[in-house]
Amino acid sequence: MEKCAQEISQGPLLKVSSIDVFHGTFQALWDVSLEVKAGEIVGLIGANNSGKSTLLDAISGLLHPARGKIEFEGQDISAVESFRIVELGITQVPEGRGIFPDMTVLDNLILGSYTRRARSRRRENLENVYQHFPILETRKKQTAKTLSGGEQQMLVLGRGLMADPKLMLLDEMSLGLAPIVITSLYKALQEIRQRGITILFVEQNVRRSLQEADRAYILEVGRVTLSGTAGELREEEQVKKAYFGV
Amino acid sequence: MKSIISGLERFMKLTIPGLGRWSIPLVVAIVVLAVLPQVGMPRAWITYLFQFFMILTVANMWSLHAGRSGMITLCLAAFIGLAGYTMTIGSYFGIPIPLGIVLGAIVAAVFAFLVFFPVYRLKGVYFAIATLVLPQILQYVFLIWDPVGIPRIGGGAGYAVRGAMLFSRVDVYWMALAVAALSMIVILVVSNSKLGLGLGAIRDNDNAAASSGVDVFRLKLYSFIIGAFIVGLAGGVLYLRSKYIQPIGAFNITWQMTAILAAVIGGLRIQGGPIVGAIIVTILYFWLQGYPGYSMLAQGMILVVIMLAIPQGIVGAIGRIRGTRVHRATLQLATGIAGRIKGKGNM
Amino acid sequence: MIDISSLAGPLVNGILWGGLFALIGMGMSLVFGVMNLINVAHGDLVILATYFAFFLSTGLVLRYSLPLDLDPILSLVIIVPVMFGLGFAIQKFLLNRALTVSAEAPLIIAFGISLIIQNIALKLWSPMSRSLMPPYALDVFVIGPLRIRLVYLIAFVAALIMVFLLREFLRRTYLGRAISATAQNKKASHLMGINTGRVYSFAFAIAMAVAAVAGVCLGLIFSFTPDKGIQFLIIAFGVVIIGGLGSMVGTLLGGIIMGLVMTFGGFFLNLHWQMLLVYLVVIVVLAVRPQGIFGR
Repeated sequence: MEKCAQEISQGPLLKVSSIDVFHGTFQALWDVSLEVKAGEIVGLIGANNSGKSTLLDAISGLLHPARGKIEFEGQDISAVESFRIVELGITQVPEGRGIFPDMTVLDNLILGSYTRRARSRRRENLENVYQHFPILETRKKQTAKTLSGGEQQMLVLGRGLMADPKLMLLDEMSLGLAPIVITSLYKALQEIRQRGITILFVEQNVRRSLQEADRAYILEVGRVTLSGTAGELREEEQVKKAYFGV
Repeated sequence: MKSIISGLERFMKLTIPGLGRWSIPLVVAIVVLAVLPQVGMPRAWITYLFQFFMILTVANMWSLHAGRSGMITLCLAAFIGLAGYTMTIGSYFGIPIPLGIVLGAIVAAVFAFLVFFPVYRLKGVYFAIATLVLPQILQYVFLIWDPVGIPRIGGGAGYAVRGAMLFSRVDVYWMALAVAALSMIVILVVSNSKLGLGLGAIRDNDNAAASSGVDVFRLKLYSFIIGAFIVGLAGGVLYLRSKYIQPIGAFNITWQMTAILAAVIGGLRIQGGPIVGAIIVTILYFWLQGYPGYSMLAQGMILVVIMLAIPQGIVGAIGRIRGTRVHRATLQLATGIAGRIKGKGNM
Repeated sequence: MIDISSLAGPLVNGILWGGLFALIGMGMSLVFGVMNLINVAHGDLVILATYFAFFLSTGLVLRYSLPLDLDPILSLVIIVPVMFGLGFAIQKFLLNRALTVSAEAPLIIAFGISLIIQNIALKLWSPMSRSLMPPYALDVFVIGPLRIRLVYLIAFVAALIMVFLLREFLRRTYLGRAISATAQNKKASHLMGINTGRVYSFAFAIAMAVAAVAGVCLGLIFSFTPDKGIQFLIIAFGVVIIGGLGSMVGTLLGGIIMGLVMTFGGFFLNLHWQMLLVYLVVIVVLAVRPQGIFGR
């Protein structure tokens, strides 16, 4: 599935405007705004409990903002149910892999194409996934829980691709994986971007993030404290001091 | 007028140390209820109030378990039946009935103690169904076991309670009142003690409570046993009144349903909820007595509707309203009217 | 000394009864696996289906006697869709909402539903003990020393068919896969675009469809009254516990074990002991190995 990169003329693909998000009575996000333009790779950097996952969940419709707005392709999706958001073209690869452990690799992938739109392109997307991650084809009859950590991450990435997304959200992809594996995953990510899929990823590792992303936002305790291109951020005193070497 | 209202409010909040809010009104209520039969209350009301006391007791104890300790127990019938049988069997072996009732409660408590260990580790629904199985087991135990040895009466293989005739309606009424009062006192004491605090923490979050040093096991055990004991007392009194006990009825799920209904209608986690719930359920019970079969049906439907529409119960819903404009407006209206009356009547 | 050959009877019958128990447990296993909800009204819903079959085969309801004479197995054509629809409605309008209220709400509501069903059955068909009695109800196969009732065989075959159908459905259809997925990882399912509310409704509906089959088989084998629901609830629970969650084959095995407990209990002891034994087994398994003998 070759997609032409969207023209930037129509405004950002994803626009989050001043949202507050609560977990019950606990406020997790305060006045958060960000933008992702079509074809970009944007990083969301922050330590634990900074609200990164909450932000992704809000975009995916698992949570709804109490204030503010989330727009995708110009449409307000703040109150839309999560399964519809997938149909609109946003897929999240959740933290902790989120495989279906007792299903085979192939079944996991097929489930990725659950939405109507994705089902019609199932065959092509499967081919693409196997191209990005050949090991998945080798192991396609294996039960998902028997895969290694890195392979499981590839599986959920592939599964995300099966949903025929325009925007992919990745939550802590590199957690618990060896550096070599992480590098190959990010390489695959760049290849995925070549297909025209926009990416917003969450990372704790600042260096890695600024390496892979075009732009990034830094999230601290539920607020966006810094943002800019990777180059700009690398020069920021605060970033240099506080995070490098961590 | 205003001073009367505020005086009433202050009276309602009087407390006996250790028993918390509502304790003085409770004592007053108990005294009033105790005296009623002597001052010419109609006989039918003795029946109504007896039922109310029983329902209140089981509702209180179920809400102690489910509402305050975070464990849904479905073995009410086990305690009632076990205690009832103890008292009945005791009556054949020379044990005076009042002692038999207390003994029954003790047996129920011991049973609770023994049973708690194997099922305690089970989570939520598993635990609930494990407790559901208990009355069923006991039912078959008593179908098989015949300790009294006399030929059994009726198709249900039951026993009559020997010596039950010696207790008048009013005697049994007072016993029921005592048990209900005891159940209220237990709830008050638990609410205002460390036990209550710990149980509340457990109910909200098991693990968090445990890591804060709360001995989850012991507190739940205490709550379970206390509930069993009080319900056991109620069971003894209940079968004293019926004068007859048989396995299928004794361990029937009806009392469990009634307890759940009363607790839920009133408000599961609210103090005073079971009282309101018990009143409503008692009214329903007698109102629908003329239409056999519809009583249970109505109870089931009400249970479903309440859980969906007003899950916090009636008392909880009122509590919500209290803070709202509706309440404030009503209060203004009431004091306005009161003021008018005062002005006109030269009080 | 017990004559070994006389054990063949309880053995075979126990296995065949196991089919019925597995059928009863399957619906509960599905619901429990997908939404972690023990439907305490399950037994009553099965019996509801049984009464429905009774009505269709005898025409008896309240004080009327309608000219109905539908074979119970054929009547499944009507009963299965009705139970399916009923299940879908119950989950969609009652239980889905209950799941958002509190942890104990679904349990309490299921309790309420149980009460409602029991009393509707009581009103419509009285507390009299009933049975489904088509012409073949008492037919017996004689194989050597064994006397096997045809209806036991029917139930067992039905169980095998349902296990197979369910397994294939869960594995091969998108909806079935969605149901399995939701059972394994709810958040990830949301992120796949799966409407978990709808999945729950379908899962419950399917469970009720299976319960319909279970109900008819039950009526052919046992006599029934409106209050028998709890007994079968506990048996179903035992089946699910022993068989472990998430495995249809496990449920079948769980059913067989329960069946054997019952038949051997009845063989060595008397009727009351039979049920007592079954309940004790449930408690013991719960206490010792709640995840089941074959569970994950």
